[in-house]
Amino acid sequence: MKILVVDDSRVMRQIVIRTLRQAGMGGHDVVEAENGRQGLELALAESPDLVLSDWNMPEMSGIDFLVSLRAAGSNVPFGFVTTEGSEDMRARALSSGASFLIAKPFTPETFEQVLSGVGVS
Amino acid sequence: MTGTTVDSQIDELSELDVVSVVEEVWATFLGADAFMPLIPLAPGTPAPADPCWDAAITVAGAWQGIIMISLEAGLAHHVTEAMLGLEPGGEHSTEDVVDAVGELVNVIGGNIKGLVPGPSKLSLPMVARAPIRVSSLVELVRLPLAWGEHQLALVVGVPAGGDSVEVGT
Repeated sequence: MKILVVDDSRVMRQIVIRTLRQAGMGGHDVVEAENGRQGLELALAESPDLVLSDWNMPEMSGIDFLVSLRAAGSNVPFGFVTTEGSEDMRARALSSGASFLIAKPFTPETFEQVLSGVGVS
Repeated sequence: MTGTTVDSQIDELSELDVVSVVEEVWATFLGADAFMPLIPLAPGTPAPADPCWDAAITVAGAWQGIIMISLEAGLAHHVTEAMLGLEPGGEHSTEDVVDAVGELVNVIGGNIKGLVPGPSKLSLPMVARAPIRVSSLVELVRLPLAWGEHQLALVVGVPAGGDSVEVGT
């Protein structure tokens, strides 16, 4: 399985990748992007099986990335990993085609529980 | 902004809630290092001594405010190593420290944003290797903390005039 991790913070991308490993999901290929625009390009070029994206990023936000991705015809499972987990944002994420929203800070147990729901193990 | 409004914001933002956010973020980010607890210091403890790394993030909307964190330089490097999963003293760049300290205030700020009235928008973090100064700030919460031999401080504040927050170094 190929997982695209999109976050403008290299540190946070490392934490997400480490948490995937701690959750027992370390055997997957990981592709990284540092904003929504680069994420969109890589999502279309690399055809990942899952996208994990931050929301608040320069260049292109996570929600605009998701909307653009769906407009381009991609139905790849997409989840937000973001500091902002309000009910409004969760509702907006889900109505735009996201499968889940994981709020930072998170634990390996959260990753395991949420990602197993979209078929990642 | 009137005193009454500030008082009501103090009521809405419990210091215990802020402590809880900081402890949770700290424990998650520092991984195995988090076994050493953050210890609250006495109110009035001076801000961490220079050289320090400061980071700030603003919330704009139904609630206007700023969340700032100040870390001793040695602690900022330690946090960066921990967040990147490096061994103590592991090679990292100044850019990595900016990234790590910025992400720290981003996640703390995002969680504090969830404790105050919305809707509102979180800015991107600002990071400086110098004290960040905010004009006319009313501090709702100031948490001086110790982590081992290091000190850090977290401040949550609102603009005294009720306008947006102006930040500088």
